[in-house]
Amino acid sequence: MKNNIKIERARNNMTQADLAKCVGVSRQSINAIELGKYNLSTILALKIASVFKMEFDELFSLEKEDW
Amino acid sequence: MKFNYLFPHYLKRVGFVLLALGVVALMYSFLISNTPDFMDFNVYALIRQRFLSPVEFFSVVETNFLDELIAGLLILGLGLISFSREKVEDEFIAKTRLESLVWATYLNYGVLLLSVLFVYEMAFFMVMIVNMFTILIFFVIRFNWVMSKSKRQLRHEE
Repeated sequence: MKNNIKIERARNNMTQADLAKCVGVSRQSINAIELGKYNLSTILALKIASVFKMEFDELFSLEKEDW
Repeated sequence: MKFNYLFPHYLKRVGFVLLALGVVALMYSFLISNTPDFMDFNVYALIRQRFLSPVEFFSVVETNFLDELIAGLLILGLGLISFSREKVEDEFIAKTRLESLVWATYLNYGVLLLSVLFVYEMAFFMVMIVNMFTILIFFVIRFNWVMSKSKRQLRHEE
């Protein structure tokens, strides 16, 4: 699953630590999600979308290998 | 996400203390005496079986308690280190924990299978003793290695 978290963080002038604090996870988690090393849960994805005030599918999209 | 099956974070330190005491006791048993007089106790046994004798239930046994103490300290220490929460315990860490546990189980039983095939007599008995602890040791090493790798990556990102 692709995501635009890094771009949205930059747009909102947020660090990984800021976002991690907002959604209650570790910085390692945000870093792993941004690097695509880990597919996050629906709850966490919705929390992150809510922090950026975006719709889920504006922030996350499926890749070919996800099907 | 709730992680009810884990111990509180502060017990990780207690785990390190117990593990250190266990290692000191192990060194004592190797280097000084593995049956010191001051550790001779009568203990309650649920089950015992003396050599070529029938099984006995609910009896009192005179034993040297040092090996029980060492095993207890090592199991409790490694158990608390393995299964205490991280400061921030989240789903990524839970995933790393699960993967490390699977990895440690495969490795542990892989080593045990090789030992069954290639190690014999008293050497195999020693393998069985060490094997009581290796699954937790492999888990602790793998989990902490992955966590420190992801922390290093954070520094690199900065």
